Formats: sequence, C-alpha cells, structure tokens
Amino acid sequence: MPPADAPLLLEVKGLKVGYPVQRRMVTPIDGLDLTIREREVVGLLGDAGSGKSTAALAMLGLVRPPGRILAGEVRFLGQDLLKLSPEGLRALRGKDLALIVQNPRGALHPMLPVGRQISNAYRAHGAASSKEGWQRAIDLLRNVGINDPERRVHSYAHELSGGMAQRALISMALSSTPRLLIADEPTSGLDVTIQAQFLDEMAATVRGTGSAILLVTQDLGIIANYCDRVVVLHEGRIVESAATREFFIKPQHAYSRQVLSLVRAPATPAKFAADIAPLIEVRDLVKHFSIKGRDKKVQAVDGVSFAIRPGESLGLVGESGSGKTTVGRCLLRLVEPTSGDIRYRGQSIASIKPAELRRFRSKLQIVFQDPYDALNPRYTMEDVIREPLDLHTDLDAIGKRRRIGELLDLVGLDPKRMGEKPRGLGAGALQRLNIARALATGPEFIVLDEPTSVLSPLARVGFIELLARLKKDLGLAYLFISHDLTTVQHVCDRVAVMYLGQIVEVGTTEQVFKRPAHPYAQALLGAHLTADPMHRRVDRPPVNALAGEIPSPIDLPPGCYLASRCRHVTEACRVTPQTLAMHAEGRPVRCMRVLAGEVPIGGSP
Amino acid sequence: MLLRTILRRLAVGVVQLLGLTVAVFFLIRLMPADPVSRFVGINPSKAAYAQAAKAIGVDRPISTQLLHYLGLAPSQGKGLLQGNLGTSWVSNAPVLKDIATALPVTLELITMAFIIALIIAVPIGMLAALRPGGKTDKAVFVYGLFAGSQPEFWWALLFVFVFYFKLGIAPPPLGLINPMNSPPPPRTGFYTIDSLLAGDLTTFFDLLHHLMLPVATLVFILSGPIIKMVRQNMEQALTADFVLYARAAGMPGSTVARYALRAAMAPSMTLIGILYGFMLGGAVLVESVFSLPGIGQYAVRSILAFDYPAIQGVVLVITAISLVVYLLLDLLHAIIDPRLAQE
Repeated sequence: MPPADAPLLLEVKGLKVGYPVQRRMVTPIDGLDLTIREREVVGLLGDAGSGKSTAALAMLGLVRPPGRILAGEVRFLGQDLLKLSPEGLRALRGKDLALIVQNPRGALHPMLPVGRQISNAYRAHGAASSKEGWQRAIDLLRNVGINDPERRVHSYAHELSGGMAQRALISMALSSTPRLLIADEPTSGLDVTIQAQFLDEMAATVRGTGSAILLVTQDLGIIANYCDRVVVLHEGRIVESAATREFFIKPQHAYSRQVLSLVRAPATPAKFAADIAPLIEVRDLVKHFSIKGRDKKVQAVDGVSFAIRPGESLGLVGESGSGKTTVGRCLLRLVEPTSGDIRYRGQSIASIKPAELRRFRSKLQIVFQDPYDALNPRYTMEDVIREPLDLHTDLDAIGKRRRIGELLDLVGLDPKRMGEKPRGLGAGALQRLNIARALATGPEFIVLDEPTSVLSPLARVGFIELLARLKKDLGLAYLFISHDLTTVQHVCDRVAVMYLGQIVEVGTTEQVFKRPAHPYAQALLGAHLTADPMHRRVDRPPVNALAGEIPSPIDLPPGCYLASRCRHVTEACRVTPQTLAMHAEGRPVRCMRVLAGEVPIGGSP
Repeated sequence: MLLRTILRRLAVGVVQLLGLTVAVFFLIRLMPADPVSRFVGINPSKAAYAQAAKAIGVDRPISTQLLHYLGLAPSQGKGLLQGNLGTSWVSNAPVLKDIATALPVTLELITMAFIIALIIAVPIGMLAALRPGGKTDKAVFVYGLFAGSQPEFWWALLFVFVFYFKLGIAPPPLGLINPMNSPPPPRTGFYTIDSLLAGDLTTFFDLLHHLMLPVATLVFILSGPIIKMVRQNMEQALTADFVLYARAAGMPGSTVARYALRAAMAPSMTLIGILYGFMLGGAVLVESVFSLPGIGQYAVRSILAFDYPAIQGVVLVITAISLVVYLLLDLLHAIIDPRLAQE
C-alpha cells in the first residue's frame, strides 16, 4: 500500500456523462469525484447499472456513442484530459493511461492477429518498426504468462480462451508501461481458477512497473484480496471511500451495508439423520455427446453418483466444461442420459416413457442461468405462472389467480403487478419470477443451474436469502449448480466437486471449504477469493494453483484426468484410472495419493 | 482443406447448373409461343411447317430433345456434356460462338464499372460514416435521392444528351468502336485486352472513349447501393468494442478507421457479388442505349425470337459466371475474416 501522502495521479471532479434518450439527457454519471495516488490499487465497487463502465471509459475521455461528457474535470498528472486536443489525448491514452475491459474477445479485432494488434498499440506511442513491434508483442505475451508466445502472436481472438484473450489485452495495455491501469471487470466470465491466476499476474506485473490500478468490479472477494482502498459508486456518484479493511469492518453507506450483509452472516448448515431415505438418487450417470462429422465423443458426464435427502441442498461446483449443467439437465431428463439410474423416492425415472415422466415433472423443477431467456417476453407475469398451473392442477380461474398472487408474494414480488410483462424488471426480479413459476406445481426438488451468475451483488444477496427461506419454510431440496463459491457456501449443506465429468470429492460444505482433500478441490478452493481483507491473497504466495487450463473432454487421458495439471502427479497417476473411494475423514475422494495419505489435505487458510 | 472446399463448391455448382438447365428447358417450352411459325411465315403448308419443325428439331418427343441437348443421346450428335450448346435458330451460328462474342463486351463494361464504383464509393461511404452529419454525409443523402430514384436508361439518355449532343465530349452512342476503325484481331474476345495485345493504342483509346458514357452511367447507378452498404456496415463497425478499445489504446485515427473498414468490408463482399451477378443480365438497358452488342442484348433478342438454344445458353453461362464470382468472393471473404476460414 502506498503512503497516504503519495503524489496524486488522477483527480476527477464533478464528472458528468449524459446519453440522449428520447430528446432528454440521462446522466448515468452525475457529479463523480475520485482521486488515485501513485502505486495505489483502488477498487471501484458498484451494482449493475451504477455506471461503473461508463465512469471507467470517461476517465480516458471516452464515451460510447451517442453519449457525451457534459461537465467536470479529469486531471491526470495535473493536466485536464477533457481540455486536451484530440491528438494530445490520444498520445496519453494507451501510454500513461491504459484500459482493460470485460469481454476481452470483443475488445480484440476479430480479423487481425493479436500480435499485430499489440504491435499497433505499442507503435502508436513511439517510433518503432513493424518488426520491433512484433518482437515486443512476443515479449509482452511471454511476460503475462502465455506459453509459446511465438505461435500465439499469430492467433486470432476466436482462437483464444477467455483467460488468454484477457492476457493478450493486458499485454497491450501494459505495452507502454502506463502510470495508471483502469481494469473494468477484467475477470467477469472467467472461471475462478483462471480469475485468480489472472489477477495474481496482473497484481505482480503492475507492481513490477509501479503503476496504479483502478479495479472496477462487483465482486467483494476481488476488492478484499487486491485493493488498498474502496470507492463505492451508486447512482452516478461516489457515496463512500474507505481503506479496504475499514470498509469491510464498518461500511458507511446503506448500499455497502446491504452487499456486505452476506459476508457478515455465515450460513448454518442443516443437520440430517443418517438413515433418512434419499429423495433423489443418481447412480453411474453417463452422458456422451457425439460430434458431427467425427466418430469421437464428448464425455460430458462420466459415471456420476450422488444422493440428495428431502430438504437438503447439494452444491455442484467446478470449472466451466466440467459437466455440471449436463448433470442437472439429465436429472430432469431434459437431456437423455446415455446410461445410469436416476431414482425419485426409490422409483426409477431414468428410462420411463415421456408420458409417465410427466407425472414426476410437477415434483422436479429447474431454474436456468439466464432469467431473460427462460421467460417468454410476450407473457405477463401472470401468464408465466399460470402455464404450469394449467398443466398440473385443476384449479378454477379464481383459484389460479389467488395461487398466482400467493406465489408472487412468496418470492417477494408485488402481486399487484402480475399483469405486467417482465421486460422492465431487473435480473434479480426476473429470477424470482422463475422461482415462482418453478414453485407453482408444489415441487419437492429444484435444480438451480447457475441462478446467480447474471445477478448484481445486491440482487444476489436478496436471492440467496430467498432460497434459504424457501428451503426452510417449504422443505425444498436443491441441486445447486454454480461456479460462484461464495453463494454455494451460503446455500448448500453438502458440496460435490466435479472435474471433466467426474465427481472428485463430496463432503459437507464445511469439510470441502475448510479442508479440501482432492488436489483439484484444493486448487479450486484455493482460487476462491474470500471476502476477507485480513487474509489478502496479494500478501501471500498463491498455493495449490493448477497449471494450464481444463483439457478438452474429447481425448481424455487413460489415468487420472487431472494428471496433466496436478502438482502431486506421479507416473502411476498417469496410467491408473481413479475411483471415488472413502477417505479416512469419512467422505469420498477420487485420488489414490490422497487416499493413501501421501498428499497433505486442507490448504485454504 | 481450402482446396477441398473449392472442389466441393465447384461440384455443387455443376449439379446446380444441370438442375437449372433442365428447369429452363421445360420452362421455355411452357411459353405460349410457336418457334416454328417464325420460320415459315403466315399460313404455311403442312409440309413446309413439318419440314421447318424437323429442321430445328422440335418435331421429336420432348424427352429426346432434352437428352439430345444434354448430350446423353450420342446418336443425335453432340450436346451439353460434349461442350456443345447447340446452334442458334436465328444466327445459325453455334450458340457458344455467339456468346463468346457478346459476353466479353458486357464483362468489360460491368467490370470496369464495378472497379471504378468501388474506388469512388467505398471511401465516400467510409467518410460519411466517420463524420455523420458532415459534408460528405449530406452530399451522399442528396445523391441518394437522385441516383436511386431514376432508372438507368434515363440517366444514360441524359448523359448522351449532355456529353455528346451538347458538349460533344463523348462519341455518338453507336457501339464499342468508331465504325471507321476495324476491331483488333480477336484473341481473348475482350476488345480492350486484344487491342493492347496487338499494340494498337489508337483503337485502345477509342474503346475507352466509347466506353466512357456507358461505364459512367453504371458507376452512377452502382455507387448508390455500395455507398449505402459501406456506410451502414461501417457505422456498425464503429460502435464495436474493438474500435472503442483501439481508441482507448491511443491508436491514431487512421488505424482506428482501418480497423473499422476491415470489419465493414467483410459483410459488404457478399452484396457486391450479388450485384455483379445481377448486372450481368441487368446491364441490358444501358447496352441498348449505347448499342453495345453485349450479352444482355443477345438475351433479349433470343427471347423475342423464341430462340430456344440461345436462351438456354445465355442462362447457363450467366449462372456459371455468377457461381464462380460467388465462390471467389467467399474465398476473399475467408481471407479477410479468419473466423470463416476455420469453418
């Protein structure tokens, strides 16, 4: 952390940005004040729609068309950017003031090799030949941890993974060693393991160059682990500015207190007697997808077994591509499983005919990731909930209306608005409506497929509280599929960790989060950014990190699937298929070295 | 990989051509027309009529005619598969030879027009998108009002009136070369290329002189849609994240414009290809005004004379050229946009 009297780098005063909407000016940024000192890492926290990205761009003097900067000053090293000539401003941008954005693949030109783009950015700020620029691009890519940069400079954006594209972007941003890096949600859309890797590398690289960072984010974990100071943006203004630790201990503004409430109230998992019959039981579930035009198969789910008791919630976590979503869809037979057994209250539903399956549908429901796509935009809220009532109940019209009102009330939506279309609602309210629809038939079990991933922090807090309440009041069981570990920690009683279609570890939430046993679980939990500013990730060397990215589920290795990325790998691991077996601590783990006690377990402090 | 794609496209193209040939074969015979009566005059004797019908071969069953045309009946003589498009009933020359004379004229005309139109229209469309509401943008708007709303023959006539009749800059609209000059010795069929090959610069410049007005007319007509399309695609590209990011990275305005243009050109290619294929037959009005013996004129003449073999030949050749142009543009598109090359 820089001293409090370090020289000022950026000073924003009364910044106002407007967009013309139907002949009126709407001002998403309305009187923003902000300072950043040299070498400081400042977190800009704000909810969806608070104007974070607009603010980040405006600090470079940029606005998405047709918007305009209406008033204010952006002083960078003493001079007001907004008064500079276009050429003067251009010379500063990308040189002393650099930006990285969310959606890195969209920020890269789709038809030019990344090396050419990095070279162009570098050459925009100094006389360098095309060849020098190209060489510089290779060096920069190597610096940000890209393997084989000589080959990667020739890649196009669509050939890069999200993590790699973000690295290419940051290498472009750092090409002229800027004094200030503005990072606008740089890791949204990346998996937790990649996110941690990327942020670690960004923190290290920037520390090396002595730059300051403005880190725009909605994620309290990122703030707690990487930022020296937090500023909170709410309705276009900064409403709070505090050192990170103080912010987490004593938030001032109402918004801050609300988003922090989840961090401060840890969940209390339910206790279950061991002899309760399971509600849902899955045995050796397998799902292969064949690839068009090739005789190979994608092994999306590879022998998954688990059981869920009535009223219990099981979390299913893992990187994207691990097969979590396919498991959830197979459970309801939205996707036909290749083989395996699924039992609901002891009755097999894996191979019954569709007509018979319908009887079970009212008891087993699903809520999808994208609340917008899951709703017919032409339906009013009333229509949305009436549809399952028509199919599964014999209520009369008045009864249905009453039930719709009750359901909306139950999920915290105003029943008086049932005639409205969902278009104007935010993601959080839409997801509540999806829950209400799932509840309409009185289910006992709901599959929640990444239900919080598009919610803003504030909506997420409310949504998690709703799930906890419904579970307690209605005795619902959940299969909670998510890569959002914070949410899983608050909602789930038990957690299963998946990797490449297999469950590698199952345990109570406390066991898995406090003492992860499988090397993959250790890495995943190690990458989890706990919103705890007292144990910052930047202050300790990262442990348990995995090398590389998740391999393709087409050509799987003969032995342990993690062998290519694991720190504890031996020759035996590469050739021996691993089985899920009971560990001494009383939970199943799929790793022979852990089971033999050769690998220390735990890891996450 | 690339070669396989090209071969597959060509194979599909051959099947398309064959299907089209058969379809056209039956369609023209559905016309309420009697080609025989054109040869025998009014009130012919039965014998004379039958003789004429026999001469052009329409007395045979239609299936025999089709097999003959396709070249599947070797006893009847050569057909399509042997590279024979039949003999024109009007000119009595092989259709292939007729087309070989007419087609280069049109190709020359519209290729020149397209090249010039692209050179003019692309930068204008770009400028209009880069500075919305600027002078170029306003000029484009006014031009769009005029060029789009009048048919091309009207503009052709207006140009002849102004540049030939009033100003006397242009030659009279009577063909490709001065009637006093002799055409260059035919090698490729393209007069401009042939005259250059023969080292005959006088004829070459005379050709350009004669092509001046027809090309200008087509450029005037073609520029409208091209400007509009480039401008629209450019506007879209300018709002893309990668353009905003290029600005944020402090790249100079010229680089930013290049980034946007590259993204804008890729989707424009397809429309240019369609426009080219359309103009092959669609240039007929301009050909008529300037008395250019092009493929459009040949097509119209053949249709009016119920010259079945000639009609078939024209349809076949125009389609084949269109298919090749589409293929070339798709390849070009794949070079510009690597995402397509991958698929």
